[in-house]
Amino acid sequence: METTTQPDVAHEDHHESLDDHGHDNQHFLTKYVFSCDHKVIGIQYGVTSLIFLLVGFLLIMAMRWQIAKPGEPLPIMGAVLEHVYAHNNAGEPVFKGGVMSSDAYNQFGAMHGTIMVFLAVVPLGFAAFGNYVVPLQIGAPDMCFPRINMASYWSFFLGCVVMTVSFFIPGGAAQAGWTSYSPLASVIPTDGQSFWLIGMILLITSSLLGAVNFIATIIQLRAPGMTWFRMPFFVWAQFITAFLLLLAFPPLEAAGIMQLMDRVADTSFFLPSGVFDTGSTPMAVSGGGSPLLWQHLFWFLGHPEVYVLILPAIGMVAEILCNNARRPLWGYKVMVAAVFVLGFLSFIVWAHHMYLTGMSAKVATFFQTTTMIISIPSVILLTCLFMTLWKGSIRFNPASMFALAFLPMFGIGGLTGLPLGFSFTDLHLHDSYYVIAHFHYVVAPGTIFAMFAGIYFWFPKMTGRKMNEYWGKVHFWGSLIFMNIIFFPMFLQGFAGLSRRMSDGGATYSLVQNPDITSGALSELIIRLNEYITLGAFGMLLIQVVFIVNFFHSIRNGEKVENDNPMEATTLDWQTPTPPPHGNFTKEPEVHGEPYAYSVPGAEKDYIPQTDPNRPKTA
Amino acid sequence: MADEHNAEWYENTFKRMIYWVGGILIAGTAITYVIDKWGVAEKYGLLTAVIFGLTVATIKAATVIVIFMHLKWDWKFKTISLTLISTVLFFIGMMWLTVGSEVKTYESNDGKPGNKDNTWKHGEHAVGINKPGDVEKPEE
Amino acid sequence: MEIPYNSTARPDTGLYNGKVGVWLFLASEVMLFGALFSAYVLLRVGAEPGNWSMGLMSKEVGAFNTLILIASSATVVLAWVSLKLKDWNGYRKWKIATVIFASMFLTVKWGYEWPAKFTHYDVTFVDDEAAETVFANVFGQDSYNEECREKHKEIWSARYNIDGKVWDSGSVDTKDKPLDGHIVGYYTENENGDREHHKVGKSFGVYFWSHAFAWRHDKRNDGRTTGAKRDTFREKGVVAVEIEPAHGTWDKHTEKHASVTDRRYAKADDGQATDADGHGAHTITVETSQISRVSSYEPAHSTFFAVYYTLTGLHALHVFGGILVMIYHLMPISRRIYESDPERFTNRIEIIGLFWHFVDLVWIFLFPILYLF
Repeated sequence: METTTQPDVAHEDHHESLDDHGHDNQHFLTKYVFSCDHKVIGIQYGVTSLIFLLVGFLLIMAMRWQIAKPGEPLPIMGAVLEHVYAHNNAGEPVFKGGVMSSDAYNQFGAMHGTIMVFLAVVPLGFAAFGNYVVPLQIGAPDMCFPRINMASYWSFFLGCVVMTVSFFIPGGAAQAGWTSYSPLASVIPTDGQSFWLIGMILLITSSLLGAVNFIATIIQLRAPGMTWFRMPFFVWAQFITAFLLLLAFPPLEAAGIMQLMDRVADTSFFLPSGVFDTGSTPMAVSGGGSPLLWQHLFWFLGHPEVYVLILPAIGMVAEILCNNARRPLWGYKVMVAAVFVLGFLSFIVWAHHMYLTGMSAKVATFFQTTTMIISIPSVILLTCLFMTLWKGSIRFNPASMFALAFLPMFGIGGLTGLPLGFSFTDLHLHDSYYVIAHFHYVVAPGTIFAMFAGIYFWFPKMTGRKMNEYWGKVHFWGSLIFMNIIFFPMFLQGFAGLSRRMSDGGATYSLVQNPDITSGALSELIIRLNEYITLGAFGMLLIQVVFIVNFFHSIRNGEKVENDNPMEATTLDWQTPTPPPHGNFTKEPEVHGEPYAYSVPGAEKDYIPQTDPNRPKTA
Repeated sequence: MADEHNAEWYENTFKRMIYWVGGILIAGTAITYVIDKWGVAEKYGLLTAVIFGLTVATIKAATVIVIFMHLKWDWKFKTISLTLISTVLFFIGMMWLTVGSEVKTYESNDGKPGNKDNTWKHGEHAVGINKPGDVEKPEE
Repeated sequence: MEIPYNSTARPDTGLYNGKVGVWLFLASEVMLFGALFSAYVLLRVGAEPGNWSMGLMSKEVGAFNTLILIASSATVVLAWVSLKLKDWNGYRKWKIATVIFASMFLTVKWGYEWPAKFTHYDVTFVDDEAAETVFANVFGQDSYNEECREKHKEIWSARYNIDGKVWDSGSVDTKDKPLDGHIVGYYTENENGDREHHKVGKSFGVYFWSHAFAWRHDKRNDGRTTGAKRDTFREKGVVAVEIEPAHGTWDKHTEKHASVTDRRYAKADDGQATDADGHGAHTITVETSQISRVSSYEPAHSTFFAVYYTLTGLHALHVFGGILVMIYHLMPISRRIYESDPERFTNRIEIIGLFWHFVDLVWIFLFPILYLF
């Protein structure tokens, strides 16, 4: 299938046998906006989530300024925010005088977490890449239920709108953290939390529709010859991820409904008896609820959610590393088994987020044990990826460099999680900057690097043009260096006892400013690190500008790909015209072999596409 | 797969099954209601009553799943049943672990290490502030 | 472009697409309701003595609704069987029966059960003394004596599904054992100290009344005005409320209903409240200064009612959605779909049937845990 098809021509001539309602004559709206085509929906998801990735990043930039320079007005944006941003209930601007108030800090913090997890990384890794790549890789004409797929995107979009609008309502956005612990979240007097809950219910609905669609597609629409163990590893990762979303999200939906009832109908699901509002009068609610119930339901989602973030990333990295190391995936079946075990175990580790809630020691013991066990499949995955590189002749391009950097970064993130998995060490480290550093190493230089790798890797398939390689490498080195400048010092701050969620960056406990304090004192170095981290964050922002310019410039002006398979890949997604037309394949693909037939001895070239029937016996 | 059956099977066998299952469901509802009216909770304790009620409900649910949702003739009956049963077991296990351990510490605080949990209990109140009227009372 | 296996089964999996989809969807629904069930268990296990107000449910109504839903579950599978037998008229007949049963279910729930609860109030008292005065009146005694106490214990234990031990242990104060009934009127006081009687409409706008009278400290009472601001008794200047037994006259009361058991109670009436409907003969007037909390059987009443409304509300929404889809399947457009591709239409009916059976399944579990045990 080495046809050299020009991108523009590709649209015209692949329809006769497949079509009953072709896309060719469709209106712009149905073709690009309310589209049922999985590729268009994938790109819609991708663009929306990249925008929110930037929004989430800008929120944290403002917070970093406040942490480094508590009480000083934000440069440039401060004056704008004072007038644009919401007023609090007392009628004063939340950004009074351009200074970030604690209210604003809480709102930005809660929304940074929410946006990054639910509006940026999950939609990017799972929905965007999944929608675009999975049907192509299994040789399907589209997703199983195209209209449900569209409903999924628009439900997600509505959720995004609700979340965005919540910044501008009176009182501002949600401010109880992305975990929204009750009773705080139930009794907060502004409406941001209600918006947050409604937004979450829409996002969860979107995820459920998407998850059903992915699983059904992978079960039902595999091309002839695409047996389970001929599926690329990325498809396996998406398959398990979809199951996690399908089964872990509904409890949060239930919890969200209950918290909404608490706020709107004044029920007491999460309010124990004898809760005080501001002042000395106990709130006259019926009481009898359980704050622990919220945490159980939240983390029952929350922990599988971690694997929803990381599994698509590992899948992408596996694809990209095999392709660029020109080696088959080492231990393919072991990795599939590891992903299965990981998926199952992720449902029984959730309470390791809750050691400080006063659960009984027995429960803590159980969850420590399962938490330690779940690190085994994670290590297996990482080891297999490292082994794939062994003796490979690695091609260094931006995609493979990001994928390579993923390995040590994810490794750091994973290993630093072990002390948090034990209740005795967690007592000290809980809610400190150590936790922030740990999970950001997993998600930011981990998952987001994998997303960048995926963008550089599949960009030629989506557009027919390559992104600029030189600036891609600049983007990579800049991101790698600044990521570590930002997150590594946080481990030190966490060990020193700097708590999360303090809008003054710990200045209250600074030994320099308050020489008399006796407990929780922070040395000058620890406080000063805040400024270096903020500088690193600004560097990070600058280096992303390179990426943004490169991205948009390359869509129209990038170097054209010379054929449909510029990466010389084996999987089905590269055996289509570029970009793939509606219906994806010129003729129904037939699969004849394993997904990673790279450097097969005795073969003509160093790769054998899955569709190639003439292959040596060993492959 | 249900499709393998012919029209005659649907007309004679399956329709009769539907009426039978409908009968079982109605009977189950009636039995539960009558037993409750008869006062099983007062006579044999709430736990017995709950176990009885849930058992009847599970039997009803099983007939609905197997016959009405025609899982019996569907793809891989055994696999799906095993999945369902293991899900239920998982649910019970997790409830036993999380709720069960709380209940035990609430009822028998026998002072053994690891069995005692003074930090938080269901239904526990801080003294003197648990009810709206109690607030004004000063602690002595 | 046609998606394969939309109406025929894929050979190696033996399933068509819709069936895979609906079973996956039902799996997520199991998790959704499973989470709510576990919330039920956790809240019930942790409920304080006397705070699990399950005895207030009407078992007869619950059993009736169960039977209706079971019937609809049988008719929906019969409709599918009719389609399998290529019998459109049979399909129509059974499908219409299903829609009728489902609508009856919702009518009972939203038209009778919920509104009846929204008009039914519980009143708790500021201290034991106030409570004892009122209950002595209610039971037609001169004081809160032994006979009065026994009667109160019997009623209260039945309401909250607990045995007499909790009462005897004294772990719940008399002031927290509520008096129940409809609020039929209230008094306001003008500057001269004269009392003015206001009637409260019972049937129309019950929901809003129940909220206007939800007398709890406004959560948002710190001067901020965002969010739902509630009227409170104080803001309305209410000095006393007039309560009537929930079932017309006092002697129709079953033993499970708290308020009042016999005519002797009429003695408690102070004569002020007599109106054209003769309410004065049966009602009791309680000063707001004696009341700590008034709440109808709304979600905010107790965690039991919170769980009850959330579970049954979510379930009723599923029923409602099912009705809409089934009505679509009865419209002329569906006839045309059936004639162009009968197999595909039969599959659609099978899928909505599976969903409907799941809704029935949920109710099979909701009935015992919410109404009976």
